[in-house]
Amino acid sequence: MSVTDADLIARVLTREDQHAFAELVRRYQSPVRAFLARMTRGDMHLADDLAQETFVKAWRKLHTYRGSAQFSTWLFGIAFNEFRSVARQRKELALDEIEESQAGAAQPARESVSQLRLDLTDALKRLHSGERAAIVLCCQNGLTHEEAAQVLECPLGTVKTNVLRGKEKLKRWLAGYQDYERA
Amino acid sequence: MNAPEEKDPLDTLLREQNNYVDDGGFTARVMAALPPRRRRSWLQPIVLLGAAAIGAALAIRWLPWESLPPLDASALLSLDPKITMPWLSVLLVAASIAWAAVAAVQLDD
Repeated sequence: MSVTDADLIARVLTREDQHAFAELVRRYQSPVRAFLARMTRGDMHLADDLAQETFVKAWRKLHTYRGSAQFSTWLFGIAFNEFRSVARQRKELALDEIEESQAGAAQPARESVSQLRLDLTDALKRLHSGERAAIVLCCQNGLTHEEAAQVLECPLGTVKTNVLRGKEKLKRWLAGYQDYERA
Repeated sequence: MNAPEEKDPLDTLLREQNNYVDDGGFTARVMAALPPRRRRSWLQPIVLLGAAAIGAALAIRWLPWESLPPLDASALLSLDPKITMPWLSVLLVAASIAWAAVAAVQLDD
């Protein structure tokens, strides 16, 4: 049976076990890096820098993790704060939603599923950062709306609205695909 | 719980796009960047709590409790400095002690 997160955390806190922390990093590096890559609009280099800082902060502040939320939710919270502090300094990250006319609305019907997936990636980049964060956390990472609200430090209603609005926009932008329903 | 939206093809597409990101040496880089873990210091909270306790003791000993005007709402609302100032001093001392106690507890986090 695999060791639980709680066991690994306890080992880090009581014995400063670096192997246990490395196991936690291995378990969560993928969702944290993918989330930050989405938030930085695909800048994988910056996303990895932020992810590294996220795990270093988690190492420093692990004693403050109370276990009331899932460990991944706690990590996403640190990651989002890292993103937010960089976005304050970098205008290209703080950009709001890109104009709909640029976002490929009402495109002609297309068949390719792979092109649809590429365009979905592109469409996600064009969303307002609040909508993008809510969709990536709830729809891609399976967080509940309550957990996402905790990560994003915003009211539950805001998360629900951002998920709804974001999905409406994505559907509108991808409406040109004939096989969208079958993809 | 989120409302189930199993039939929404967009949800399926989004889930499919959440691909695994290969580690590619990331964990090793993080482990190399870790600073030594700072042990929780009990000294700072103890000093703050001690200072708060001493402050409370001094306040109890030295504040002119006998000469404090009676705590009467109408007198306080009159904003007469002879009545409000002594009580403001008491309030200030109490707030300082409470702040020190709260700060000492929060230092542990």
